Amino acid sequence: MLIPRKVRYRKSHAPKRSGMAKGGTRVNFGDYGIQALEHAYVTNRQIESARIAMTRHVKRGGKIWINIFPDRPLTKKPAETRMGSGKGSPEYWVANVKPGRVMFEMSFPNEKTAREAMRRAIHKLPMKCRIVSREGGEF
Amino acid sequence: MSEVRLNVEARTEFGKGAARRTRRAGKIPAVLYGHGSDPKHVSLPAVEFARVIRENGHNAVLELRIGSTDRELVLTKTITTHPLKNYIEHVDLLSIKRGEKVNVDVPIVVSGDPEPGTLLTQDLNELSVEADALKIPEQIELSVDGAEAGTQYHASDLSLPDGVELVSDPELLVVNIVVAPTAEDMESEGDTDGAVAEEEPAAESSEES
Repeated sequence: MLIPRKVRYRKSHAPKRSGMAKGGTRVNFGDYGIQALEHAYVTNRQIESARIAMTRHVKRGGKIWINIFPDRPLTKKPAETRMGSGKGSPEYWVANVKPGRVMFEMSFPNEKTAREAMRRAIHKLPMKCRIVSREGGEF
Repeated sequence: MSEVRLNVEARTEFGKGAARRTRRAGKIPAVLYGHGSDPKHVSLPAVEFARVIRENGHNAVLELRIGSTDRELVLTKTITTHPLKNYIEHVDLLSIKRGEKVNVDVPIVVSGDPEPGTLLTQDLNELSVEADALKIPEQIELSVDGAEAGTQYHASDLSLPDGVELVSDPELLVVNIVVAPTAEDMESEGDTDGAVAEEEPAAESSEES
């Protein structure tokens, strides 16, 4: 699973969930991509789960690019704990994804199989998404 | 590439409110600069401009008629689009002169199918070239028909039209044809990432730094 090797601060404020993606909004590497339509924190488990869903469906002959990285820690206080006594301990690693961001890209010769693999991957992600292609996106 | 004529209007009000009003009126706010002259703020007709870009590519040469007298030959420098809705939000236009050489990014279009059992990855989508402002190629085609695994196409391998010179590094990799990954290869991609997964999150942190 994706996780930062080293961080400067163990705990951080929760990332902002506002605005649109400033970059990474087009398919650059593969033929198709999964584009986020909503804000969300995508955990490293969700990223791995989506990657496995795509990999298992196409079986072989394809390539997958992951364009997001879970570099922000989210903390959580233990169950049945009273408020106070400081911030909880890091529980998740998340990528702060904004609308428009192409999170995964895929290269595969058969479009139908590639789209089905991406559809399965979208079910593992915590926000509404759509499939975009390299050719698409003209005005 | 032929010139396309567009009637545009000079903009007199600026800022996000004015820009939004311009867009609501079916126009695109744009700025025109180049050759050391002061920038001019104009609004382009949205539907016509989108059609021009769709038909002639991003490097379309436009002849703008600003008002009734002023005429400018321009090239699109940057097109800012909405990340989701895909409409054009703003355009940067570069003023050019006839016979002038300009540096532009021309899209690379890959055609044909490599040998079965291979996977094509395109590493470079656009190539920087120097060309006459009025003779910019719409696209550069690369045929990979029947290419074997291990074949690499570099920027220097692309055939450019007459009068067009390469600006990008000739050694830049454009297309790479590799043996299609097996199921084990694709699964093992995740395993390499998993090598650090068991680490305690932020265990090596130096909070005091």
